[in-house]
Amino acid sequence: MDIKITDKALRFFLDSPIKPVDLAQTISLCGPTFDRLHQLDDDYLYEIEVITNRIDTASAQGVARDSVAILKQQGIKAELKNDPYQEKIELYTHLPHTFHFDIADQEIVPRFTAISLENIEVKDSPKSTQDLLTACGERPINNIVDITNELTLLYGMPCHIFDLDKLGAQKLIIRQSRSGEKITTLDGQTNDLKEGDIVIEDGAGRLVDLCGIMGGSVAETDKHTKNILLIVPVYHPVNIRKTSLRLQKRTLASQIYEKQPDTELCLPVLTQAIKLFQERAKAHVSSSVFDSSPSIAPAKTIELDTEWANRLIGQNIPVDNYVSILKNLGFSIKNKSSQGILCTVPSWRKYDINIQEDLVEEVARVYGYSKLPSVLPQVNLAPEPKEPLLKTETDIKTFLSHRGFNEIFNHSLVSESLISKTELDKNDHLKLINALSTDLQFLRTSLVPSLLQNIKNNQGKSEEPFFIYELSNVYQKNSDKLANELSKLAIATTVDILDTKGYVELLLKNLNVTKYRYISVTDLPPYFLPEHTSVIKHQGHTLGFLGHIKPSILREIGITSNPVIVEIDTQTLSDLRSPNKIYTPISEFPELLEDMTIESTEKVGEIIAKITSVSHLVKDVQYLTSYQNKHSFRIIFSSLLNNLSQKEIAGIKEEISSLFV
Amino acid sequence: MANDYKETIEKVKSNLIEDISKCSTVKELELLDIKYLGRQGEVNKLFKSLPIKENPLIGKEINELKNICSKLISEMITHLLNQPSQDSFDVTIPGNRLPAGSLHLISQAISDIETIFDKLGFTRRRYREVESDWYYAEGLNIPKDHPARDDQETFYLSDDVVLTAHTSNGQLREMERVKTPPIKMINIGKTYRRQADASHNAVFHQFEGLLVDKNINITNLIGVMDYFVKAYFGQDRTIRLRPHHFQFTEPSFEIDISCGLCHGTGILNEKPCKVCKSGWLELGGAGMVHPTVLKNGGLDPKIYSGFAFGWGVERVLMMKSGLNLPDLRLLYTDDLRFLKQF
Repeated sequence: MDIKITDKALRFFLDSPIKPVDLAQTISLCGPTFDRLHQLDDDYLYEIEVITNRIDTASAQGVARDSVAILKQQGIKAELKNDPYQEKIELYTHLPHTFHFDIADQEIVPRFTAISLENIEVKDSPKSTQDLLTACGERPINNIVDITNELTLLYGMPCHIFDLDKLGAQKLIIRQSRSGEKITTLDGQTNDLKEGDIVIEDGAGRLVDLCGIMGGSVAETDKHTKNILLIVPVYHPVNIRKTSLRLQKRTLASQIYEKQPDTELCLPVLTQAIKLFQERAKAHVSSSVFDSSPSIAPAKTIELDTEWANRLIGQNIPVDNYVSILKNLGFSIKNKSSQGILCTVPSWRKYDINIQEDLVEEVARVYGYSKLPSVLPQVNLAPEPKEPLLKTETDIKTFLSHRGFNEIFNHSLVSESLISKTELDKNDHLKLINALSTDLQFLRTSLVPSLLQNIKNNQGKSEEPFFIYELSNVYQKNSDKLANELSKLAIATTVDILDTKGYVELLLKNLNVTKYRYISVTDLPPYFLPEHTSVIKHQGHTLGFLGHIKPSILREIGITSNPVIVEIDTQTLSDLRSPNKIYTPISEFPELLEDMTIESTEKVGEIIAKITSVSHLVKDVQYLTSYQNKHSFRIIFSSLLNNLSQKEIAGIKEEISSLFV
Repeated sequence: MANDYKETIEKVKSNLIEDISKCSTVKELELLDIKYLGRQGEVNKLFKSLPIKENPLIGKEINELKNICSKLISEMITHLLNQPSQDSFDVTIPGNRLPAGSLHLISQAISDIETIFDKLGFTRRRYREVESDWYYAEGLNIPKDHPARDDQETFYLSDDVVLTAHTSNGQLREMERVKTPPIKMINIGKTYRRQADASHNAVFHQFEGLLVDKNINITNLIGVMDYFVKAYFGQDRTIRLRPHHFQFTEPSFEIDISCGLCHGTGILNEKPCKVCKSGWLELGGAGMVHPTVLKNGGLDPKIYSGFAFGWGVERVLMMKSGLNLPDLRLLYTDDLRFLKQF
């Protein structure tokens, strides 16, 4: 949350000679970030980023208090003045009740203070107030409305005024709304309420306030207003947050309330408000102060071991300095022992300060993070090898990219339309319950549909052939509530299937995976064309699939070429890698090459396997061509022991031939 | 008769000289070499045709002839090889276009990040993207109804299962895996945000560092952050810490790095620097691991302390000077004209 305050407003609480530019820089490193500084005619405007748990700094007085502690630590003169917590509170107990509040549910209204004022004069605000509001991006309206807005900027505590004469004030009920109720707010909008919004109902049964968000138009003040009811409440953060998000009314008040302002600040602000109404609108107090929970909750105390704290900070900060910093921030300190101090948390920090570490943060930031040295940690940890899967992924990417393939990062989320186009089953996919758009709704179970889309998107834009791949997780539904996240590699080329196989084989060789086979099967992912697709098997394991896509799917997606798709399970590949590369002795004797044509109805892969198994002297079998059932191979013979004789070779060739008669 | 052999030898030599004069290529000369000096060559034939046993001088002269022939041929070969090349070849023609592969910029960044942290002894991990509410939020000290929950703009698969918007779930999972510190993890993974504009993509990547051991303090966090920033962005860059708030760290920081253009001054050519806010760029959050998170990870916060940080891979990549990407979403295009640039 960002707020704007002027330098003049800040100096109402902060007494220091520091220049605005220096102030902004100094405070930014130790407290709230003074994001930007703007020079005005005779003032400066700070844009301040309020840290989420420090709603006490969403005001001039809160920033001033933090600044005092920070400046003093740096040896710069600074004092806090006009501290609202030090002001004398007048409760006007001698005056009667002119209104009555009934709080049905104390939980949703932790504190509620109110007072009525009479005989006010509505006119323009003094110029200084108008300037302040304008500079902070608010529109000056009149002296009475401006007072409430100015107080919010100064103290960080919203307040609200009603025209008392327009209210059924004898029976005001603060309650949670009921579904179906409506309220028209000051912006002229009519809001449909649900259960759980906080509202005030008046004696005439009308809703007069959408609490913590915006006042109702029923009892809106105007230039004729004479008597007002002023409230300074605190509401439950969750209710306010839900209402303001649902109705998209992110008012300053709602942003403050959803972050829990200090309930002890209600009476001081009410007191300041009375003073301003008296000064600027000649108001007279006409009732005693209403206070829903006048008893003050006991303050929290935390014991801080400063030696432990110094170890966590990594710097030896003297105990005295702990004490001075915390005192300047409003903590009261009792020294317990030489190293332990007992800290009493001020009311405005009661929600964000809970444990010793919170106090460490307070001291360390004010002391100055920039004063801490940069020290690399010494940790005695045995070296750990890289996770095999992550290593395999890196190796695959490096290999393919160096071999001329382009890596693509696609979304993990796909559309229902892409799922159905590729004949996958929507019901196998995990679905988001709050998707941003129908394009990104299902977690993909395969990388292939996106890759097909990539080919389509690049057609006509880049010159073919394409060599692309993606390596990423896919997500499978799982019997327990989380998904199986499986690492996959998908490759697409628009070149010949045997060239593509050649690349895959080089990849596998590079990863030290051998002894795999291409097997023709029918059990394939649905987008593959069964007649043109093989499964890559390594003993019992399925490494992946390689083949063409069904023409109907290509047409559906709009692909004009006939790409070759490879889909590999990265985890299986990683598991199958032999960790060590082993040297195979090189024969001193020359290799002999023999071409052979074999006539067989068997698949080429089977034939090669058979030829290879005939003799250990068959070192390699290269496939050359096929004509109908006749397949030519080049067989390489080699022996480590001696020169092979023609006779030996002839014997093996005969044995090979005998396998295919 | 006595000098007949001289004539025969002289004849071979003059034949060779004539043959050489007809040669214009090295290849032809190599054939001459075989013709005269080969096993069945003209010179060797002389050993058979002349009476070398009768006159030992003959053998000597044939050997001399052999040397002369060899010398003549080799001189001519050298001469030809030293001739200027006759075929015209335009040396300025570019090479054939081979497929230009590319490793995605995000992969390159991940690899850079991994390498830097590897040097500091952080081991790379990857944890779940589909995660339960406990590891994603509750266990990280973010209770239900906490405002931090809707700030994260999370995608949900069910009330209790999310697509992670940060990699901090890896903190608890790593603590559970290691059980006894030290822990030095750099968890790099895909993350998701319900948001898409010029600086946000619904899918992005984060790297999450976690170090837990005895006596780990804020200066160690500064040490590691500073090392990373100098290694990744350059030696001249510095960091600063600003107070911040995260539920899972205490104290919490926002880390800024000095702007690479104006070097932390906010002024470039006497004008305010357009790249940074006042000399510094926001890098990401960090902090000392909250004791509740250590406890939830099964570690005793009285014995152990640690720090953690979670930054965007795309963010540091975009911030690296010189890349000039106008829109983060470009990283997720499949346009090969983009991908092939890197």
